[in-house]
Amino acid sequence: MSKTYEYVPEPALVKGNHSFKDITAMVTDINLRPTPMGWYIAFGVSNILLLVLLVSIAWLFWEGTGIWGLNQPVGWGWAIINFVWWVGIGHAGTLISAILFLFRQGWRTAINRFAEAMTIFAVMCAGIFPAIHVGRVWVVYWMFPIPNSMAMWPNFNSPLLWDVFAVSTYFTVSLLFWYVGLVPDLATIRDRIKSKVGQVIYGTFALGWRGSNRHWWNYEKSYMILAGLATPLVLSVHTIVSFDFAVSIIPGWHTTIFPPYFVAGAVFSGFAMVLTLMIVCRKIYGLEDIMTVDHIEKMNIIILVTGSMVGFAYAMEFFIAWYGGVEYEKAIFILRATGPYAWAYWIMVTCNVLSPQFFWFKKLRRHVAFTFMISIVVNIGMWFERFVITVTSLSTDFLPSSWGYYSPTFWDVATYVGTFGLFFTFFLLFLRFLPMVAVAELKGVMPQADPHNYNEEGEYVPPKVEIPQPYKKSV
Amino acid sequence: MSDQPNQTTYWKSLNELAQNEEYKKFAEREFPENATELTDQVSRRSFLRVMGASIALAGFASCRKPIQKILPYSRQPEDLVLGEPLFYATSMPFQDTITGLLITNNEGRPSKIEGNPDHPSSGGRTNIYHQACILDLYDPDRSRSPRRNGENVSGEDFASFAAEHFSNTERSILFIDEATSSPTYHRIKQQILERFPNSQWVTYEPFSENNALEGTQLAFGSRLRTVNHFDRADVVLALDDDFMNPQAGKNSVEYSLKLTSKRKVESTSDDMSRIYSVENAFTNTGSYADHRLRLKSSQIAPFTFALAARLAQSVNGLDAFSSVNNEFSNHDWIDNLSSELLNSQGNSIITVGAEYAPETHAAVAAINLALGNSGNTVTYHELPYRENRDENQAFLNAVDQLKAGVFDTVVMVGGNPAYNTPADLDFTAALGNVETTIHLSDYFDETSRLSTWHVNSAHFLEAWGDGLSFTGQRSVIQPQILPLFGGISNIEFLQILLSGETTTGYDLVQETWAGVISGDFNRGWEEILHDGIDTTSGFSSAEVSLSGDFSSFIQPALTSRSIEGIEIAIKPDVRLFDGRFANNGWLQELPEPMTKITWDNVALMSAATARRIGINPERSFSSNKVPVVRINAGGRSLEIAAWIEPGHADDSITLTVGYGRQNLGRVADGIGVDTYPLRTSGQMFYQQASVEAAGTTYEIACVQDHHSLEGRDMIRTTTLAGYKEKPDFATFESFHGFNVPGMKEARAAGDERGPVSLFNEQYGPEHQPQWGMTIDLNACFGCGVCTIACQAENNIPVIGKREVGRRRVMHWIRTDRYYEGDPDNPTVYHQPVPCMHCELAPCEQVCPVAATTHSEDGINQMTYNRCIGTRYCANNCPFKVRRFNFFNYSQEYLTTGDDPEIIQMAMNPQVTVRFRGVIEKCTYCVQRVNKAKIKTKIATGSKKPGDGTVQTACQQACPANAISFGDLTDANSIVSVNKRNDRNYVMLEEMNVRPRTSYLARLTNKNPELS
Repeated sequence: MSKTYEYVPEPALVKGNHSFKDITAMVTDINLRPTPMGWYIAFGVSNILLLVLLVSIAWLFWEGTGIWGLNQPVGWGWAIINFVWWVGIGHAGTLISAILFLFRQGWRTAINRFAEAMTIFAVMCAGIFPAIHVGRVWVVYWMFPIPNSMAMWPNFNSPLLWDVFAVSTYFTVSLLFWYVGLVPDLATIRDRIKSKVGQVIYGTFALGWRGSNRHWWNYEKSYMILAGLATPLVLSVHTIVSFDFAVSIIPGWHTTIFPPYFVAGAVFSGFAMVLTLMIVCRKIYGLEDIMTVDHIEKMNIIILVTGSMVGFAYAMEFFIAWYGGVEYEKAIFILRATGPYAWAYWIMVTCNVLSPQFFWFKKLRRHVAFTFMISIVVNIGMWFERFVITVTSLSTDFLPSSWGYYSPTFWDVATYVGTFGLFFTFFLLFLRFLPMVAVAELKGVMPQADPHNYNEEGEYVPPKVEIPQPYKKSV
Repeated sequence: MSDQPNQTTYWKSLNELAQNEEYKKFAEREFPENATELTDQVSRRSFLRVMGASIALAGFASCRKPIQKILPYSRQPEDLVLGEPLFYATSMPFQDTITGLLITNNEGRPSKIEGNPDHPSSGGRTNIYHQACILDLYDPDRSRSPRRNGENVSGEDFASFAAEHFSNTERSILFIDEATSSPTYHRIKQQILERFPNSQWVTYEPFSENNALEGTQLAFGSRLRTVNHFDRADVVLALDDDFMNPQAGKNSVEYSLKLTSKRKVESTSDDMSRIYSVENAFTNTGSYADHRLRLKSSQIAPFTFALAARLAQSVNGLDAFSSVNNEFSNHDWIDNLSSELLNSQGNSIITVGAEYAPETHAAVAAINLALGNSGNTVTYHELPYRENRDENQAFLNAVDQLKAGVFDTVVMVGGNPAYNTPADLDFTAALGNVETTIHLSDYFDETSRLSTWHVNSAHFLEAWGDGLSFTGQRSVIQPQILPLFGGISNIEFLQILLSGETTTGYDLVQETWAGVISGDFNRGWEEILHDGIDTTSGFSSAEVSLSGDFSSFIQPALTSRSIEGIEIAIKPDVRLFDGRFANNGWLQELPEPMTKITWDNVALMSAATARRIGINPERSFSSNKVPVVRINAGGRSLEIAAWIEPGHADDSITLTVGYGRQNLGRVADGIGVDTYPLRTSGQMFYQQASVEAAGTTYEIACVQDHHSLEGRDMIRTTTLAGYKEKPDFATFESFHGFNVPGMKEARAAGDERGPVSLFNEQYGPEHQPQWGMTIDLNACFGCGVCTIACQAENNIPVIGKREVGRRRVMHWIRTDRYYEGDPDNPTVYHQPVPCMHCELAPCEQVCPVAATTHSEDGINQMTYNRCIGTRYCANNCPFKVRRFNFFNYSQEYLTTGDDPEIIQMAMNPQVTVRFRGVIEKCTYCVQRVNKAKIKTKIATGSKKPGDGTVQTACQQACPANAISFGDLTDANSIVSVNKRNDRNYVMLEEMNVRPRTSYLARLTNKNPELS
């Protein structure tokens, strides 16, 4: 029988021919080692920023929304921009963990834990803004349909109400999904940690995981169900966020392109944020064999695709504005590109449309430092996209008499910068106390987990049988 | 009141009378934030006490201390229901005129001012000063006691000083007063002049009618007031006369009503008058004119003479001008104007700004006479109270004598000469020459600080008085409240000087009127108080003929030339007049009608002048900073922010006065630049100046940053001829050339309300009225009184320059002003924009907590208590009429100073004061609507009040009668009729929000020869 095909081996998802034990050690030792000095420094800086956030919010509550730069035509400013931006970032995690899981993309296991954690913290940052940006924060709970003696009920026509449900559902499902995935790894740490307190805490959260077949069976099922539940949420949450704009009648907001355009943008920015964090962490924690350049390349391809989708959406907005023939729509797009906020528009286009195009080149896709730079550029661009959408449309809408310029104040900036404090405080705690890679899942995609009794030539090779050694606590 | 703080003789309940502990606790709990109010000097509760007095014993109510008996409501005054306001007629004096007003009085507390419909000077309408003066009443910065050398003293101290000082009748006393027409005042004045033979009496007003009167003296040989009858004129030529605005016309309300009444177009068979305006800065009158020519102020006189010269070729009586040959003799406008005026002889009016020289006024009077307008569209009236002399000259002479040390006492009855007299007079130094100076004024102002005695005066709403309207109708000024700060009126003040004794204003006024009222005095007096006017009175008009010496008087002026290079023209401020309203927050925050600037005065100039000076005429959209210029004139200089006004005459700079105050009050201090120092006795109006860029910038809070319509359809306009040719010019289809998508299908289905819809768009139920509004852009001239009326009615806070600069102004109705056409000489459109009360309101759909909803009678209502402040509604409002309380503005505004209760009394008790973090907006004055509905329902069982029963505050104030409001289900209501007018259109029709507020398109009556 003549050979009619060439065998192309898939590149291994984990490099370096590590054993299972090595992988366990590589990941969980990070949590078990004494806390490094650098972590304390980073945590201290994050805490200072978190304090900035708390002070900003306290001052906001004390003084009122007027401390921000909002004004009469521009009723939404940095708060809503930041909200949309953080929610967008929060898209990558669930996309990676749920959709890629359903599509059986094995490479996701290296980064899904990490990305999900980022998602949860990003959604937390995002969730702050709708709550604090209202004029009377002390009655913000009226947004929820809580039965009460005042016979008040929210207005279900309002996209802001949909937002409340969309974001809170997304947060809840993401958190559950993340936690369920963590259970086997928590059990691993429980088994490896020496401190009694640690054993109790990790043991509690490991829910009595012993790795039995039944446990695995339940785990796999629940993980699958949650992935199924989370998948539509990935699409719905930013769709609904986009409804905040699309359902209104303001030119530049009132467009049907917004849902897919927002979701693409969200994936775009989310992947960029994952890359930013991942590139730093894999270096610091020596996880280059797990989060490999192949991963970076794959993610860069997604960035290229979603970036181009966003670019296409920008172009389509212009086309529809012209083709639709609505006077105000036409005017707002011309003003975006040439008007008072043209500087923001062109920053957006440069960062979001032009910068990902470098990833057509394989060399650049696989270039770690370059990727890191582009990932940051993309997130700046995506922030400006939300700025351009939110501010320009309001600033120059229907009646020229009400046109007005918006600029942020110190407190706008402080609140935004402060959310990084919140984000990194939680993220650093995550890095310190939880395994940043899904160890159990990762092992499942290693070559070692997929032993074949036939070699590349199709010849039988008897399996090597290793007798597992009993686990020694002293190791 | 402090004399008897605990003597609660007025009581609401037996508990209160018993003053038991529970009751005291309850009473203090009623207003937890002002828990101390029971012990404060002037609280709401003590107001009730005072009111008991003012109603039951109206005769004693004018005294400055509540020494009268206070009676309880054991017998409640007739018609008084607590919570129901009462309305009293009174009049507001302004210079030597008064305007008839109706005051809304809530439990003895005046809270809102409307025009008195029975009084011809207001016709039920008002201007911005009338609306805003209620805030002056409650201004906590008003002077609160007499002062001797700056030290607080009591009223008795002053009275005893006056009794002693003025017992010497040989004293040489100089009296300086403000113009007033009060018969009582003039009666006491005569008595004083008789008692003190060595005294002199002069009147000083920085902006007065003096030149106009001197003009008639030149033309006709006697000083006569010129009254224009715009309702009779087909052609009006305004030579830099902004007579529709109160700073330039003492009779602005009547004039505006009459002028706009000639421009109401209900169908194609109606005609309009034609208005020409020649002016340097853009005024509201100029923006309302059909044709406007921009000329420097110094060119107005040559222009007038050239016009007279041209007319002299066709009519008799203008021979004096035939020699004139100047730069305008062959001007296009002269050709057209002369033929236009000749075609409507007897039906035209030429009017010139009050500040112009007597010769210009004389020329205008001569032209009006020659054209046969005199006696028809223009009448002349003798002022009985006025001395027959040049008052300005008399004042200048008196100051010279003052410097020479002729007088030992100076008495200033009102006015603020230390601030507003010409700079070269050095009035301050002149005053220093005198041993005793006495100043009666509202504020402890610039002049008070220099005087040995300052006496705090009562507001006109606090004291009895009287006066004559512009056309001579006599009225009594009834107080509405006891003096809050114990001030006295000018007549009480003079009476103290005369007799050394305190006499009540009430007695003084009655004494005057005893000689006037025929028949039963009490009956006649009560009728006059009730009606607010003595209907039998009025100036009789004088027959005029050209004085024999006219030609020789006028000749020297005819060769006058305009100023070469840059001129500055100093004018009264639209909002602050001569500075007397400087401490009024409503006026300071009212956008200047043409520039839309708040809280500042600027140097207005054209773009060409700016380039000539070397400053950038382009204003940044993203910054409030504007360049500053240094103006040097007559050896004096000042720095002031430059503002480019399209349509301003080139090489001319307009400045307004009234700003740059120090130590006057919390509102006025530090706002703007004092421009009086550039004004000299020789050049009170315009003069040559050199101007240079100062190189610095200054922040200006302007409420409108974009001035072009961008070709959009918010304003629809055509000429009168165009309208007659195409009556449906204002429809969406005519404007755009295509119809709103879905409109044709909807019409086919018999629905005129809007495009065809998937939904059953239900309007309110049958038994409810459906409210709607129309705003006639053909009447609106952009004065801004609707904004202040709304502010007064709806408790809208003043937020200050910084917040306005951040574009957070709170006004519920704004007047948009757009420029169109040639940037150097554009057309201006004014468009008042309140909430449109959209039938399908976009704000209602997006509110997550249902805080803004639709009422059954079609009002887009705002539930403040429900609002959480997401501002989504404001974003989604295509008209951007929603206002957000970014800070706790009301609290800041209402708790200023040591006794915030004072300013709180200015609030309308019918309207909620809004808290921080909620959205607010125009409610169609829902408090008035609901009150009328309830009353109608009680009376008739129907919820539909008759047409005209409900007037919104803006509608009621409008001196152009531009706003109509009413029930759309009543096919005969004025608003329904207006909505059927061809010119009716709504903004943003294609959005299908279906606004309830619509506009009547503007028409201009163009002269085909000129356009």
